[in-house]
Amino acid sequence: MKKLTTTLFALLLILGISSSNAAAADATELMKQSHLAYFYAGDDGLTDVNMTIVSKKGKERVREFTMIRLDIEEGGNQKYYTYFKKPSDVSRITFLVHKTSEGNDQRWIYIPSIDLVKPISADDKNSSFVGSDFSYEDISGRHWIEDNHTLKADETLDGKAVYVIESVPKEAYKGFARKLSYIDKETMLPLKEEYFSKKDKLVKKFTADKIEVVDGITTIIVRTMHNIKKGGHTTVTFDKISYNVGVKDDIFTERYLKNPPRKYIKK
Amino acid sequence: MKNISYFIIAILLLITVPTTNAELYTDGYVQGLFGGQLEGDNPTKSDQSISETRLQLRMESIGDNGEFFSRVDFFYDGLADDQEQYDWEIREAYMKFRLGDKLDFKIGRQVLTWGTGDLIFINDVFAKDYRSFFLGRDDQYLKAPQNALRMEYYNSMGAFSFVFSPSFESNRLPEGDKLSYFTPMSPDGAGGFYRGIVATGLGEQYYFNPEEPAKTFKNSEIAMRFQKQVGMYSVALYAYKGFYKSPIGVDASTMMPLFPRMQLYGASIRGAKFGGIFWLEGGYYNSKDDPDGDNPFMPNSSMSGMVGFERQVATNLTVNLQWQADKMADYDLFEAQQDGSLHYRDEIKHLITSRWTKLMVEETVMLSAFVFYSPDEEDTYFRFSTEYKYSDEITLTVGGNLFSGTHPNTDFGQLSFNDNIYTKMTYNF
Repeated sequence: MKKLTTTLFALLLILGISSSNAAAADATELMKQSHLAYFYAGDDGLTDVNMTIVSKKGKERVREFTMIRLDIEEGGNQKYYTYFKKPSDVSRITFLVHKTSEGNDQRWIYIPSIDLVKPISADDKNSSFVGSDFSYEDISGRHWIEDNHTLKADETLDGKAVYVIESVPKEAYKGFARKLSYIDKETMLPLKEEYFSKKDKLVKKFTADKIEVVDGITTIIVRTMHNIKKGGHTTVTFDKISYNVGVKDDIFTERYLKNPPRKYIKK
Repeated sequence: MKNISYFIIAILLLITVPTTNAELYTDGYVQGLFGGQLEGDNPTKSDQSISETRLQLRMESIGDNGEFFSRVDFFYDGLADDQEQYDWEIREAYMKFRLGDKLDFKIGRQVLTWGTGDLIFINDVFAKDYRSFFLGRDDQYLKAPQNALRMEYYNSMGAFSFVFSPSFESNRLPEGDKLSYFTPMSPDGAGGFYRGIVATGLGEQYYFNPEEPAKTFKNSEIAMRFQKQVGMYSVALYAYKGFYKSPIGVDASTMMPLFPRMQLYGASIRGAKFGGIFWLEGGYYNSKDDPDGDNPFMPNSSMSGMVGFERQVATNLTVNLQWQADKMADYDLFEAQQDGSLHYRDEIKHLITSRWTKLMVEETVMLSAFVFYSPDEEDTYFRFSTEYKYSDEITLTVGGNLFSGTHPNTDFGQLSFNDNIYTKMTYNF
């Protein structure tokens, strides 16, 4: 049986060799477009975020924060500023990320009760974001060049035509061994993502639950990460979104870490 | 009386902030903290290390031209004398505003921090509250508030900070009430002198309450910093004029401890390196009351340096390591002044520390340990805690503080009777 599969595989390989490069390139291009639509909408963005973490047993924890994003380069470096509002034990804490598309991000946290600015070692992009089912990388995006992409199928998902793209990390990665993305052909936004472990078990599932057009940009307003492996899920809801507000680069410095930009963050 | 004047200042601050379109936000917590001592022979009054209930109220008002923030603690201290059981403190009450594009002001009672160390402070000579630190209060209490004006000027060269404190704010040290301490020579109440580890359980004369510098303009404190981001590194220069924050000098006429004059110059660098964060900091403590190192009642000048590294070594496990070396100037003069009856420090004093933090169960459980160890002072301090976030509102904590030392007069050795464990419950609203 194994031999037969190998033979078949070899045959397919020979037959498909001429077209597969082009197909891979297409899948990579589609992934890039999706990445830009999802993580790089507009030149900058501002949103209030409600993050509800629901445990396996149904217990809820809620984080509320305001997030400011600035794209330094489309598809490349970005800066994120986060101001926490709730729960009350983390209120007024601010968090700054300089995301680099290659290499490690730089992260800083400011704890106002002790007036402390602290850089955080950030070599593990797969670690959880504030205890939720989203990792840092799920929030700010894993660069498409880190994976090999293959267009697996054209399907229909909830009445929408989607590309089904499989992504396999080029280098071994803790986050997933394989990922299937269901990308809306019209908006290029991911409607569903399935993350598989090394043993090819579904461990995590992302769903886009509500999509709206804001400032002319199609945006996922509500999204959920289902933790299939451990149970539980995290739902993220965006509110008061605005794009292209002209966020200045100096917001993403220690000065504003200590003094939140009140122009964007009231409370 | 002192409390009332603080209150008036707070109210004045609140109403003078430009409050056009300002909204007022309130939050805070209620916390019970109870601890017991592990050593039976501690000379304090009680075998409980702490027993208090605390309400913290935070108020914030953000206007178009500035903002106001206050953090006020009301607490009940079950170990205090009857009249002093109920008390309150303004931890912070400040206003912040901007003049032009480049100048930021923060004026009022505030907590101040800078420097790179993790619980090792070289250029950060803002007031610390070691009583809170050793008894299990939250981390925020290690920093004692001070009345100050902070001005920060930003331009393309970097950030320049200037902090003026009109009156000296000392460290809060063990005073014999809840924590025992070492005294080299104290009147024993019977006409003689006592040397050793003491506390108020042995008599009220062992309540440690050193006299602070007079509240005059000449005794004000000035701290400055220049900071610049150079690539991946944050580089800073520091200067300070004021006093040693702990009473490490002695008044030769009364033989009572006092706060000697001190000036400090230092520098630091911190940034991402080797998959983690790396920092290096140094400072020169210029002892203004003993420039030549020949006064046995005053501390000699010293040079202090530290290097540290932190990284995430496994998923949700972060570890750091620091090494500090402090070199005393004119050590030969200092050594000649010792009579040999007590341990005295080496010319270079070393301190090694390590912090371990582990997050578990979707970050609802945090295990934390921190150890200080000095190989030449032969003393250690180990602090640990387990924190469980039961919900967004309720946090449960158990922890402890363990001290040991070969000599009774070292930083941690003198605390060796104060080993304690505590439990804490916090309701955040």
